[in-house]
Amino acid sequence: MTSDKGNKLARALPRTPLNDELGTSATLDSSSQKRIGDQLRAMYDELMQQPVPDRFKELLDQLDKKKDGSQ
Amino acid sequence: MTLEADLREGLLAAVPSLRAFAISLSGQVDKADDLVQDTLLRALANLHRFERGTNLNAWLFTILRNLFHSEYRKRRREVEDPNGSYAGRLKIQPEQGSHLDFEDFRTALAQLPSDQREALLLVGASGFSYEEAAGICGCAVGTIKSRVNRARLRLAALLNVDDVDDLGPDSMTRAALQG
Repeated sequence: MTSDKGNKLARALPRTPLNDELGTSATLDSSSQKRIGDQLRAMYDELMQQPVPDRFKELLDQLDKKKDGSQ
Repeated sequence: MTLEADLREGLLAAVPSLRAFAISLSGQVDKADDLVQDTLLRALANLHRFERGTNLNAWLFTILRNLFHSEYRKRRREVEDPNGSYAGRLKIQPEQGSHLDFEDFRTALAQLPSDQREALLLVGASGFSYEEAAGICGCAVGTIKSRVNRARLRLAALLNVDDVDDLGPDSMTRAALQG
């Protein structure tokens, strides 16, 4: 898979809407694939960068203590 | 004896990616956090089943995914999203001060069939290999590949990705700078 970007391959993408019945043999050209991937990761990174809610740390701390007490 | 320090570290370190996956799957932050909490509890209760040295993240994702799907089966109507309300809920999600706008992308993602969305999130965003994703979803590697492929095609069509100026990362960056 090449990672060339900004080329004209994107033009090869069919302009008609793709539907669910589309066969799996079709693949996206690499530059379109890259753009989709970039956006997906950017969206995901934004979620990943949110601070971890305290409840999760507290949960693990509590379990630590419980284990301490019982053993 | 305390929860082994490295394991505790590992569990905590996995939380951001578990949350991102759960939020992207469910479209609801509250529900996602409950899902992550249930995942941690279940993982702790089954630690003896975890093979040391194997991929802790993949194991946790498997648990989270299974919990999500059993919940989904239970409350199908609540989770199903024919009108894109999943995306509507996600819109409130971005942190304040963030200038990037993924609204179009979220809307498109919400329109994917859930098996395609899940496969794409695992491979395209969570960093799992096709093999790991297949293990997490309990299906064949080829199935994951075709789901990811179909998800990308569908997203490209929904987002008109062939229109370079419209949706390229550069225009997003420009929008961010102007915002």
